[in-house]
Amino acid sequence: MTKFLLSRLGLYAAIAAPSLLILAADRPFLIQVAIGTLISAILALAWDILSRTGQVSLGHAAFFGIGGYGSALLTPILGAALGWVIGILLCGVVAVLLGAVTLRLRRLYFTIATLSFSLSIQVLILVTPGITGGATGIMPPVIAGGSPPLQLLFITGCLVAAAIVSDVFLGRRFRPAFFMIRNNPDLAAASGVPVTRLKILAFAVSGMVAGLAGACYCGLYGYVIPDDVFTTNWNVLPLAVTILGGMDTTIGPVVGAIVLRLLEEAARHFVGGVGYQVVYGAVIILFIAGMPEGLVGYGRQLIRRSRRSSERAPVKASLAS
Amino acid sequence: MSTLRIDGCTVAFGGLRAIDNVTLDIAGGAITALIGPNGSGKSTFVNMVSGQIPPRRGRILLDGEPLNGLRPDRIVHKGLARTYQVPRVPKELTIDEVISVPLLYARSSRSLPGAARTASDLARYCGLRPHVGTPCGQLSVSDLRRLEIARALACRPQVLLLDESMAGLSLEDTEQVIGLVREIHASGVTVVVIEHVMKIIARLCSHAIVLNQGKLLAEGPPEQVLTDQDVREAYLGKGFRL
Repeated sequence: MTKFLLSRLGLYAAIAAPSLLILAADRPFLIQVAIGTLISAILALAWDILSRTGQVSLGHAAFFGIGGYGSALLTPILGAALGWVIGILLCGVVAVLLGAVTLRLRRLYFTIATLSFSLSIQVLILVTPGITGGATGIMPPVIAGGSPPLQLLFITGCLVAAAIVSDVFLGRRFRPAFFMIRNNPDLAAASGVPVTRLKILAFAVSGMVAGLAGACYCGLYGYVIPDDVFTTNWNVLPLAVTILGGMDTTIGPVVGAIVLRLLEEAARHFVGGVGYQVVYGAVIILFIAGMPEGLVGYGRQLIRRSRRSSERAPVKASLAS
Repeated sequence: MSTLRIDGCTVAFGGLRAIDNVTLDIAGGAITALIGPNGSGKSTFVNMVSGQIPPRRGRILLDGEPLNGLRPDRIVHKGLARTYQVPRVPKELTIDEVISVPLLYARSSRSLPGAARTASDLARYCGLRPHVGTPCGQLSVSDLRRLEIARALACRPQVLLLDESMAGLSLEDTEQVIGLVREIHASGVTVVVIEHVMKIIARLCSHAIVLNQGKLLAEGPPEQVLTDQDVREAYLGKGFRL
């Protein structure tokens, strides 16, 4: 047990270390890049928690936006701490209500339902300018007085919190049940698992973590319009990040977010213009085609292979002699 | 010893009645065989009792308590467990993890360390000792069948339905599973065995129920049922002479 705990603490330290290095380097551009990367890592972790029950969401922008708008609109009334907590809890409530309707749908139908939900939330914001500012947007209170280094530190803390939540759902109580629900829901039910209830739990937790990512994002610059948060980009990004990094792990979405951002910056630097997006997209496709288990899965395979060959080496030597 | 009563149950898919107004009792503390030719409704019967396909009409009672209308996981909580003939288990999970699921979620829910210990105990009990800690993707068919029995036992059932647990196994494996079923029965569990091989039924079961085209065709002691003229006709066709 202590060994397990130590390995987890090591993981959290490894997740936080790059941010601390960037803070030490004190380069404003790098800090901005790191902040964006960590926010997409939190959103990807949220997406992965849900996908462990076999539900593929294309609507996480909805929770990203609700978390952002909720915390921004509630902070002036309730204060920062309570405003964020209620804003994020709101995401959980919305997920429970949406899940009660949609999680009985299988696979693709669920995916389509999440996509249309995220689109309808955007419309809801546009038609209620009295409360939500409509198309002109809102001015959320900024995090950490608008100081980028402090913001990075705060968001790193949020990422570690999201990683801890992700690990809880990779533990012995939830992981086997979630995988069984994904692989064979009938078998899970025949094992006493309340399938729909656990799916709703996963959806609620996933929605709240996505809401945390959205709250972080909206608190960066003090100005947000619906197009910033309710875009297809935030719907597709967590999926691309998680598949690139590796599903069913905590480290996968974090690695995926970093690598994706590096690819994007490299493509922007070497190709430039608008064409960089085409190159960037093509490289993502190549990566996913070559490594279906993601970077983390590929890394594990390499370690296994090198272990096996080092086990075989002495046998070969003894055969030769 | 728990008794299962099926009272006038019907399951229909469109116009086809897979289970047609079946009434029967499964006596507590016995090993009962459920037999019948292919398509006679045996699997539908198991799916109906376990809540996967609720009956359109009729009642299912476990010790007098109605089971129909309950979700499959609630039926497990009431003390009825089933195995699947072709178990599809997540191949990345180890066998202990699969067995731990009912230990944590079915009616006898345990603490995490308790579940881990009981899971490996159950794996050993079902003859999976060498595979403790092995991912399910690496198991043979016969080991997967044993894993299904272990998983169902982890539900702590009073009534256990075994769906063709011995189909396609080698003689040696079959003997081991027969021994295991006897042990489970001796521990006080009411067992229902769905089987094709008549020799196994004659050796293992004290009572046999025959379904044909969704209807109850015959029931009684295996030696009597297996020589019944109607049963022979259902299996072999009319006018067949040995």
